[in-house]
Amino acid sequence: MANPLISTAVVGHEFGPYDVTIPADRARAYAEAVGGDESPDYGNHLAPVMVVAAALTELINDLGLFTGGLETVHAGQEVSWERQIEIGEKVEASGRLVSSSVRRGNHFATIAVSYTDAVGTEVGTSRTTIIVTGEQSQ
Amino acid sequence: MSQGISDRAVGDALTGFERLVTQDRVNAYAEASGDHNPIHLDEAYAATTQFGTRIAHGMLSLALVTEMLAIEFPKTWHSGSKLKVRFTAPIIPGETVTTYGEITAIDVIDNETGETRVATCTVGCKKPDGTDAVSGRATVPLE
Repeated sequence: MANPLISTAVVGHEFGPYDVTIPADRARAYAEAVGGDESPDYGNHLAPVMVVAAALTELINDLGLFTGGLETVHAGQEVSWERQIEIGEKVEASGRLVSSSVRRGNHFATIAVSYTDAVGTEVGTSRTTIIVTGEQSQ
Repeated sequence: MSQGISDRAVGDALTGFERLVTQDRVNAYAEASGDHNPIHLDEAYAATTQFGTRIAHGMLSLALVTEMLAIEFPKTWHSGSKLKVRFTAPIIPGETVTTYGEITAIDVIDNETGETRVATCTVGCKKPDGTDAVSGRATVPLE
């Protein structure tokens, strides 16, 4: 079995772009899962950080974070946002591995993501820090 | 209930809330987010991990913190805000967690449109035993 990408990617590795456009049914399902009637009504806009969650799912899959006996912990998250995103609005997420190091057998990695709208304007950013254990080699 | 902008002061508590995080909620979150990692869904697999049982998605706990911020700052949370958190303990399905926050500073920032007051808040989400599941800091424009 080939090493998962998390074990081979070097700093500067680029991910995506991922289409993280959220259709109405998925937005509804997300809001229902987070809080349902207990959460506020966001109207035509997405619930906070839903786009970040969608991008993170793509990153997890690309990096192979739960393959080959790996165990991954989501250690930290940064988010900044310029404006609300409408349900169904086209958004792309482009990621880059900005740090990667191994300490005491734990692999610490941070991926920065930029979110852009249909005209290429950045609408938000995020940085995800993960700790991966169980890698066989680096 | 969110206050008016002029009412904000250092030391003000944000209005937190409690939320029961059930396995059904975690399952629903996995479906909606697309994150089907077994540590959240497969008890047999999760039993082999450092946690010994299934845990909620970190992003689900972050969603609760951002929900609090969106309620507290409905006009500005989505416009120029920043949030940085650490996930310090897992939320185990069945736990009721409580979000919290406090304004620790209000600064005047020069920007393209003039001066903007920006609140810095400690924010987080506590487990039933009082330990933090999520903790961090948010900066939110007040106008």
